[in-house]
Amino acid sequence: MKRLNKHSAIVDACYEIGATGWFLVVLLVAIPRSLRYLRETIRQIWFVGAKSLIIIMISGLFVGMVLSLQLYYTLSIFGGTSALGTVVALSLYRELGPVVTALLFAGRAGTSITAEIGLMRATDQLSAMELMAVDPIAFVATPRFLAGLISMPLLVAVFNMMGLFGGHLVGVNWLGIDNGTFWSNMTSNVNVWTDVINGEWKAFVFGAAISLIAVFQGYNAPPTSEGVANATTRTVVWASIVILALDFVMTAFLM
Amino acid sequence: MVRVVELSSELSGKKIFERISLEIPRGKITAVMGPSGTGKTTLLRHMTGQLHGVSGKVWVDGLDVAALERKQLYALRERIGFLFQNSALLTDYSVFENVAFPLRQHTRLPEILIRNLVLLKLQAVGLRGAAQLLPSELSGGMARRVALARAIVFDPMLILYDEPFVGLDPIALNQVLKLIRTLNRELGITSILVAHEFAAVRQVADWVHLIAEGRCVASGTPQQLAHADSPWAAQFFGGKIDGPVPFQYPASALDEALGFVGPSS
Ligand SMILES: Nc1ncnc2c1ncn2[C@@H]1O[C@H](COP(=O)(O)OP(=O)(O)OP(=O)(O)O)[C@@H](O)[C@H]1O
Ligand SMILES: [Mg+2]
Repeated sequence: MKRLNKHSAIVDACYEIGATGWFLVVLLVAIPRSLRYLRETIRQIWFVGAKSLIIIMISGLFVGMVLSLQLYYTLSIFGGTSALGTVVALSLYRELGPVVTALLFAGRAGTSITAEIGLMRATDQLSAMELMAVDPIAFVATPRFLAGLISMPLLVAVFNMMGLFGGHLVGVNWLGIDNGTFWSNMTSNVNVWTDVINGEWKAFVFGAAISLIAVFQGYNAPPTSEGVANATTRTVVWASIVILALDFVMTAFLM
Repeated sequence: MVRVVELSSELSGKKIFERISLEIPRGKITAVMGPSGTGKTTLLRHMTGQLHGVSGKVWVDGLDVAALERKQLYALRERIGFLFQNSALLTDYSVFENVAFPLRQHTRLPEILIRNLVLLKLQAVGLRGAAQLLPSELSGGMARRVALARAIVFDPMLILYDEPFVGLDPIALNQVLKLIRTLNRELGITSILVAHEFAAVRQVADWVHLIAEGRCVASGTPQQLAHADSPWAAQFFGGKIDGPVPFQYPASALDEALGFVGPSS
């Protein structure tokens, strides 16, 4: 990608958005071709998804615990602490689960995808594949994209589970809310379709956006140390902005 | 086998070739030599369809490379082995998997056969014992030999070697020379050899093209070129600094760049 100084930042950004969109088309077209590299996709799910589990679980636990503390305080103003289970669950399912997981995922997995592909380009590994008649889009880019797409909803489910566990820990074991109240209030007020599944939709879309940005930035990074470093930074910046913007749009229209 | 016809080419605005023409005969070892930075690697990249010229054509095995669709181009590339100047091993695979990579991608051979083929090729470059190492654990010369094993694992019809002798000790050099010769003589693989070591080249090459300044300035058997009176060949193989072959990348005059003489004076 050619970046000329005389371009203004806005022109640059528009160019990048357009190029990323076009890259999405390229990736989608390559999906049938990348089916023969199923093993590669599974390997990437391991690297991108499974290896993010620890950080997702720990973060989920703490987010749930904090949420429980804060909401308990808020609810106690209105004398409604029995609703704690419901509000913790709704906050997690509808909002914090997908968004926090996505931000963590962008930092943990997105950056490593960008850096890895950028370095493969810089060390001619992508050209080497082309010369061995292996299409790097189908073999390198698409499996990582798909891995992000598949991993994110699963990670969000894990995050939510840990969040609820943390919330329960603080609410029931520490603050002394009745265990039965906590659960029954939650199960009767949380809707599977509008809350849980819509949250998973968010996760899916965020996963697609993060891995698209990460793969695109890596694939188009200038083949130098500085180029790869900048591309990694851009992945985090772009992914964060896109996640939060998409979150607003999806919340407004879906939920 | 390969015919380059009147090829002109540019890289980011810089002219690399100016209507260069040359021919690589089938079943022979042809060396392409020339000063550093004349475009030997670029020429190889034209042959594999990674670059397209501004004008002119490159024919490989009767196919116009620039006009091929991706499917056909990839089918052609399956029959070409390429040794990268900087090895370009896949860093997250072991040596064994690197060499096995083309086989795994393009064949459905049983595991035991792949294993034997790979080990044989590694044996040929003297690195069977290193099969389980990662590329980051290899020295430069070892990495080149692994890359060589990978380039030949398919027994392709055409092998492009970009500087196969760099970083090899005399023993490994002889081994690689023998390997290149064996592949050519016994399997009839056409080979294109980009190298700077004339002493090594004259042991294996049937034909040498000397390129400089975007053109093919001399061609002939190694013996002919060693004794040619063409100023290009004489200078290049004699290793003299003064002559038609420039040692310096094009630049302004040195005294001017150093500030001794003002541009106006
Ligand atoms: N991506 C590029 N953009 C612009 N110019 C390039 C690019 N790659 C190479 N060049 C220029 O093309 C010329 C030929 O490069 P090439 O790598 O083909 O040389 P070479 O003959 O293989 O040299 P060596 O013997 O040192 O390997 C060089 O002058 C180089 O400056
Ligand atoms: Mg070169």
